[in-house]
Amino acid sequence: MHTNGQNIIVSGGSRGLGLHLVSQLLKNGNKVATFARTRTPEMDALDKEYGDSFHFASVDAVDADKVNGFVAEVCDRFGGRLDSIVNNAAIGQDQLLMHTDLDTIQQIVNINIVGPTILIRAAIKRMMLQGGGNICNISSICGSRGYAGLSVYAGSKGYLDAMTRALAREVGEAGIFINCVAPGFFESEMSSVLRPEQLNTIKRRTPSGSLSNDENIFKVVDMVISGTTNMQGQVVFVDGGITS
Amino acid sequence: MERQEILDTMNLVMTNKGREPITDETVATRDANFRSLDFSEVALRIETKLGRELTFDAAAMRNIDTVKDVLDFFEKATA
Repeated sequence: MHTNGQNIIVSGGSRGLGLHLVSQLLKNGNKVATFARTRTPEMDALDKEYGDSFHFASVDAVDADKVNGFVAEVCDRFGGRLDSIVNNAAIGQDQLLMHTDLDTIQQIVNINIVGPTILIRAAIKRMMLQGGGNICNISSICGSRGYAGLSVYAGSKGYLDAMTRALAREVGEAGIFINCVAPGFFESEMSSVLRPEQLNTIKRRTPSGSLSNDENIFKVVDMVISGTTNMQGQVVFVDGGITS
Repeated sequence: MERQEILDTMNLVMTNKGREPITDETVATRDANFRSLDFSEVALRIETKLGRELTFDAAAMRNIDTVKDVLDFFEKATA
């Protein structure tokens, strides 16, 4: 455990990896706020278990006014400070580009690029005035390696990697640490579109012999936002060594 | 925004970082130890006071040389 007593925003925390991150960060003694389009039963359960230490709101990640309002509301609820954000919300893709319709492309760009950019912009304004903070972007090995059927998704993750490096230069001096955690194919709703033989091939090519899981990724995210590493502008792969 | 209020905001940023407040408008920002991120922090503090966002190109910041340039810039941006 690295984080404790922090005020943290995790985007897209109502299910999947985001839900795991939110749950574990709460368990570690942090106050955590998350947003997604729709409330899930898991949000009600966390509300009940953690009370004022947890906050959920239905927010469209690409609505800048709503996201700015959410960040302001969270700071008010949690005592004024925003220690860390985790940009987790994303949608996947499983289509060759030539067969992907424009609406789908636009949706991936909006959720995976515009959304995180809006949240980071709101967060760094807060962090700048409070003297620092931590930003963790959930990227993907697809941002650095080529995989067919994932072109737009890969481009969106490459964007996060590149923006992370640029922002490290822009705001690093203000005590804001920004890094990416890039999972490989991991056991998630997104990888559930892969056929069993595809998953077996990936496992066979992975030096560790296994796919990463939510807890593997959480452990690295927890370290990245701890503010104790002096790691800045980096992309950390959590992929069992498949990109090594 | 009044020039003096802008200068006060600059000096709040300076003194919060343990630096000497600025008293001479003609001094170069570099000599006053007023850095580019300090410029951004002043902009954010002014945004908070005004309740609206200030957006500008990085090119506009590159033309700033002296404290007077900073004051002129924000005076114009907030007019």
